[in-house]
Amino acid sequence: MNTTNKSVTENVTLGHSYDGIREYDNPLPGWWKWLFVLTVVVSPFYLLYFHVGGPNRSVHEQFAAALDANQKKKYADIGDLTPDAVTLVKYMKDPEWNEVGKSIYKMNCVSCHGAEGGGVIGPNLCDENYKHIKKVEDIVKVINEGVAGGAMPAWATRIPNKNDIVMVSAYVASLRGTSPANPKGPDGSPIAAWSAGDTPATGDAPATGDAPATGTDPAASDAPAASDAPAASDAPTRTP
Amino acid sequence: MYETKVDTTLANDYRAMTHTSTAASLSAPTWNEAGNGTNPTGSLSSHETGERKSANHSTEVLEQFSYDDDIVRWFVAATILWGIVGTSVGVLVAFLLVAPSITDGLRSDVSSVLSFARLRPLHTNAAIFAFAGNAIFAAIYYSTQRLCKARMWSDVLSRLHFWGWQAIIVAAALTLPFGITQSKEYAELEWPIDIAIAVVWLLFFGVNFMMTLIHRRERHMYVALWFYIATIVTVTVLHVFNNLVVPIGLGKSYSIYAGVQDALMQWWYGHNAVAFFLTTPFLGLMYYFMPKAAERPVFSYKLSIIHFWSLVFIYIWAGPHHLHYTALPEWASTFGMLFSVMLWMPSWGGMINGLLTLRGAWHKVTTDPVLKFFVVGITFYGMSTFEGPMLSIKSVNALSHYTDWTIAHVHSGALGWNGFMTFGMIYWLLPRLYQTKLWSTKLAEWHFWIGTIAILLYIIPIYAAGITQGLMWRAQKPNGDLVYAFLETVQEIVPFWWVRVGAGSLYVIGLLMLAFNTIMTWSTRPSKYEVPVYSAPRLTKGYVEPVASASKLDGTPVLDLATKVDRVAQMNWHRAWEHMPVKFTVMTTLAVVVASLFEIVPMFLIRSNIPTINTVKPYTPLEIAGRDIYVSEGCYNCHSQMIRPMVAERLLYGEYSKPGESVYDHPFQWGSRRIGPDLARIGITQQSGFWHWRHFENPSVISPGSVMPSYRHLLEERLNFNEIQPRVQAAKFLHPEYPYDVTKSADLARLQAEKVAAQIVLQGGPVEYNGHMIKDSTAIALIAYLQRVGTDLTRTEEPAKPKEADATVADPTADSTADSTAGAQ
Repeated sequence: MNTTNKSVTENVTLGHSYDGIREYDNPLPGWWKWLFVLTVVVSPFYLLYFHVGGPNRSVHEQFAAALDANQKKKYADIGDLTPDAVTLVKYMKDPEWNEVGKSIYKMNCVSCHGAEGGGVIGPNLCDENYKHIKKVEDIVKVINEGVAGGAMPAWATRIPNKNDIVMVSAYVASLRGTSPANPKGPDGSPIAAWSAGDTPATGDAPATGDAPATGTDPAASDAPAASDAPAASDAPTRTP
Repeated sequence: MYETKVDTTLANDYRAMTHTSTAASLSAPTWNEAGNGTNPTGSLSSHETGERKSANHSTEVLEQFSYDDDIVRWFVAATILWGIVGTSVGVLVAFLLVAPSITDGLRSDVSSVLSFARLRPLHTNAAIFAFAGNAIFAAIYYSTQRLCKARMWSDVLSRLHFWGWQAIIVAAALTLPFGITQSKEYAELEWPIDIAIAVVWLLFFGVNFMMTLIHRRERHMYVALWFYIATIVTVTVLHVFNNLVVPIGLGKSYSIYAGVQDALMQWWYGHNAVAFFLTTPFLGLMYYFMPKAAERPVFSYKLSIIHFWSLVFIYIWAGPHHLHYTALPEWASTFGMLFSVMLWMPSWGGMINGLLTLRGAWHKVTTDPVLKFFVVGITFYGMSTFEGPMLSIKSVNALSHYTDWTIAHVHSGALGWNGFMTFGMIYWLLPRLYQTKLWSTKLAEWHFWIGTIAILLYIIPIYAAGITQGLMWRAQKPNGDLVYAFLETVQEIVPFWWVRVGAGSLYVIGLLMLAFNTIMTWSTRPSKYEVPVYSAPRLTKGYVEPVASASKLDGTPVLDLATKVDRVAQMNWHRAWEHMPVKFTVMTTLAVVVASLFEIVPMFLIRSNIPTINTVKPYTPLEIAGRDIYVSEGCYNCHSQMIRPMVAERLLYGEYSKPGESVYDHPFQWGSRRIGPDLARIGITQQSGFWHWRHFENPSVISPGSVMPSYRHLLEERLNFNEIQPRVQAAKFLHPEYPYDVTKSADLARLQAEKVAAQIVLQGGPVEYNGHMIKDSTAIALIAYLQRVGTDLTRTEEPAKPKEADATVADPTADSTADSTAGAQ
């Protein structure tokens, strides 16, 4: 700031004096005036653009599109998964997809089951004992619908993407047999090892009959036939 | 050498003030020293002007009067005292945030008081209403008398105002830490205190001020007075309409508004509390004390007019920018944003008029701590009022909302603008009020530098914390998954919070220096204060404003219209308003009220703003009791209940919040800051009663690294079921369709409490705690409420429900208990 500003000497004080305070008759600074006018003039256009302008401009429409894009991103290559034993066992053993399951687990499950699955309020997921699970696809059911009067909540209403539920189930299945720090004691009763039903992966000899079907890419075979899903998940229960 | 000069100036000022006859001769040299002998009217004091006028009207009688400076001395002392208290509580809550387990060893009734959530409202209320409040009263009482050439209309009202206000502050300190709160930010005080505020503010302060204006001896009202008028009128309107409640006892009430409407009213209030409690009165303060201290004329009278009216009219619309992306209808949000952007220049008009008043006096800033405080204060005002419009832009707000960015923003305003303007004013007042030299100019300089460093040390890390956390919340992996869990984003910024504890402490040290300087100055006061007597003529009735001076366009070949426009632009019409305080007040009120109604009326009348959701039902009696605990503990200080329609929030918290979901929420609990995660869907994501039980007992066991303190006292305290009925009665009053039998409230609540407790026991929880059954614990009610929050949206409707309602507690818990029994078997 310049104390000997030329305009100072040119200013005219008005006759006003209040307890010795006087006022200059300076005009409004031009940049101030025009910026003010600009903000006022631009506003109606903003209002018109976003509120009467056309489709896909509202917050909710933009959100719906963004969520859609987000959800498509992750599973673009594999399509919709069927939550059956074959799929679960497949992804349980896939380290890359296990990372996806792990990140869903971290966001949603840690507060009750612990960072490593050792159990806090919820049961230990790493030991051989289970309360509501007899076979691997039961994990999906428990996660989707909840158990114990909502102590385990129904995540289907919470997690928008069905594939996420499959991936986190597969991750939870993969926790079995790991050794977390400070594990909770056993809860429920021991159950048989995870079985993909008929897949050779589990080494179950009698189940070879269906092997060719499951041997193909599950995404390719299951995606078009959504109505097959219940049948597919029922199959392993009948085999033993 | 500098010091001597400053001291002489102060002494001159003091004499100039007290001895009218010598004022001109004494202040003239000072003026010349400042290198500005160019102003012919520079040395005229108002008193001389007054006398000159009286010469013109020889029929007028000169009236004798003196000013009441005692009341100013009291308000200044109260400002300093509450300033220390308010900022110290700030440091305390900042510390509790980084060391939440520090109170674990204490008795639970003590630790419950020493919690961030209970004390944060005490900090904000003390800073705003106690510190800033007393500061503006000091400014108003000092300047109004001088600008009006009149003593305050009633010494009795002045004193009632002072003591009434201090009593209100004490009442706040005795209620807020004990959970007596309305939970609406900066309007937390319960209804009996609210009534006291209305009485003290309007009947004591407002009446006294307006009557002083009416009995003034200065024809025209100076711009500072306009701002004071706007302050008094608007704060009254805001306070009354935001605090309309249904009381159920001295310490508990329910807002008459619910959900979206309550949120709109609250932020209409909240934002304009900033506008009309922390901005307009401080602009008035600036307009009086800044030119006084700088001994320079105000930069532009025209700018004063334009920025005053645009500020008053535009500010009031801007409230909804606190609710971007919430369940508030989008049109309201857009209005909030656009008017905030339009507010940028009106706000900067004040800054320009402040800073440019210093033209020709900048060299004084180097020697005078008063001007230093003012310059930095006004600069922070300019920064905050640029940042405010910026943060109100929706896409910026999407990042900043719920983070520390907002906290940094308000502290640059509060510590920088409100704090420093107050300090500048007090240092200018001290020698005048105590009629002696300021004890130490050096100490004042130290206060300035320590205060400035403290502000920077506060806001820079907190800005960093806010932006860091905002970016972490939305960070996605290439596959679209979120990168960070909520707790990780908190732990990332805890180091910044530690820096804040230090910065806050520095600011308090500055205030202690002010207190010490004040006490030492006071101790050298004369044995008896001189009370100078002034004289000025009484204002004559029937004054007519002189016609506008001829337009320079007169006689030139332009349209008549152009000449008229030019005349209007000379602001003579406004000059006429300035001698009519009642008309001026009415116009200000109109500006404020009309602007308010444009937003509020549609929100209440247009049903499509809040589409009904059929599955959303009123809370059960136990849930109401639990919700009241949630409110009372101040959970909203750290937890929002409002999921925004954004991908990251959808992934982290669940389906975004709908307007129809909070129609039974009196008051709304949307929150404004996420120190903890959002809880809008907690009923869906965390149904386990036992989890909540353990979490209240010791959050860091369940969530290692959590900054939530233990809420053990909720487990230990017994719920008084007999107190539930009046709460349910109020719910029935507000919603006649309320389905539960009010007279059976206690029984219904007991029934549900037993179910919640049974569930906890089944999940492995204790049967007894602290010598009573857990079903009697206060925590059970809160857990029942949390299990309900956010579940109604996706609930499948039970058609038989209304019939069952009388007999049992008909809600989702009925089914779930059966399930949990089965599950356990």
